[in-house]
Amino acid sequence: MTVDGWFIAGAIVGVASTIVCFVAAVMKKKPNDITILALAAVELFILVYAVASAIRLAGPGSLVGEAWEFWGYMFTAAMLPVAGFYWAMMERTHWSNYVMGAVGVTVAVMVARMAQIWYGTAAQMPAAAHALLPLQLGLGL
Amino acid sequence: MRTTERAATAPHGRTTGAGRLLITVYAIFAVSATARAGYQIATQFADAPVAYLLSAFAAVVYIVATIALAKPGHRWALVATAAICVELLGVLVVGALSVFDPAAFPHATVWSMFGRGYGFVPLLLPIIGLIWLYRHRDAK
Repeated sequence: MTVDGWFIAGAIVGVASTIVCFVAAVMKKKPNDITILALAAVELFILVYAVASAIRLAGPGSLVGEAWEFWGYMFTAAMLPVAGFYWAMMERTHWSNYVMGAVGVTVAVMVARMAQIWYGTAAQMPAAAHALLPLQLGLGL
Repeated sequence: MRTTERAATAPHGRTTGAGRLLITVYAIFAVSATARAGYQIATQFADAPVAYLLSAFAAVVYIVATIALAKPGHRWALVATAAICVELLGVLVVGALSVFDPAAFPHATVWSMFGRGYGFVPLLLPIIGLIWLYRHRDAK
């Protein structure tokens, strides 16, 4: 897995969103503008990532793994904040913030997997990224 | 009456409050296990049919557990308990087999190595689930 700007940005947005939501939950706050915007940031990142990936692939960009697998991840990652928001809003308690916080870290792991599909698992990777590997969700190695 | 009053102020039921977070985590695992099993069966089924059928079985267990946890009522609590017991059994048996007899499980499933590929969440989830169900068991 090659660590590129997209992965770094996705990991930062996802993990930061989770931290914001979890801190609000620990403070027993119900979902507010801040936590909802933190969730929306995750959705915004995925949409930008999807458009940019489509543009890169339309140009000279290349995808090592399978395209349908990559876009399957992209679609699922785009649906997660929507589903998380819906599920959180059905019953607004401080637990809703934990629900919304679960989305960000999940999307971060999925972005890591998408980077693997994009560059191939054989590509060189820094030691720090190795630590993340066992956490990958979904399609495995 | 007392229960309805409590529900109006702060949710304490099996399908509310922290239960909704549990359902969320189960739903994430249901989706990822289903996607993983679907991918394995669609692309490499001939390589390891047993391991991939096991992946599919795990996916079904997560789906059943997610739905049963989300549905109110005594029967759904029983379904959830049964599904989560199967899940716990699955992660313990497959986890132990993959550790002591790696040759039997050369291909990864959600439960291999006690769910190490998923940060051991598959091992913790059924334990937390059963504790949750026990604490919200019916009085009858």
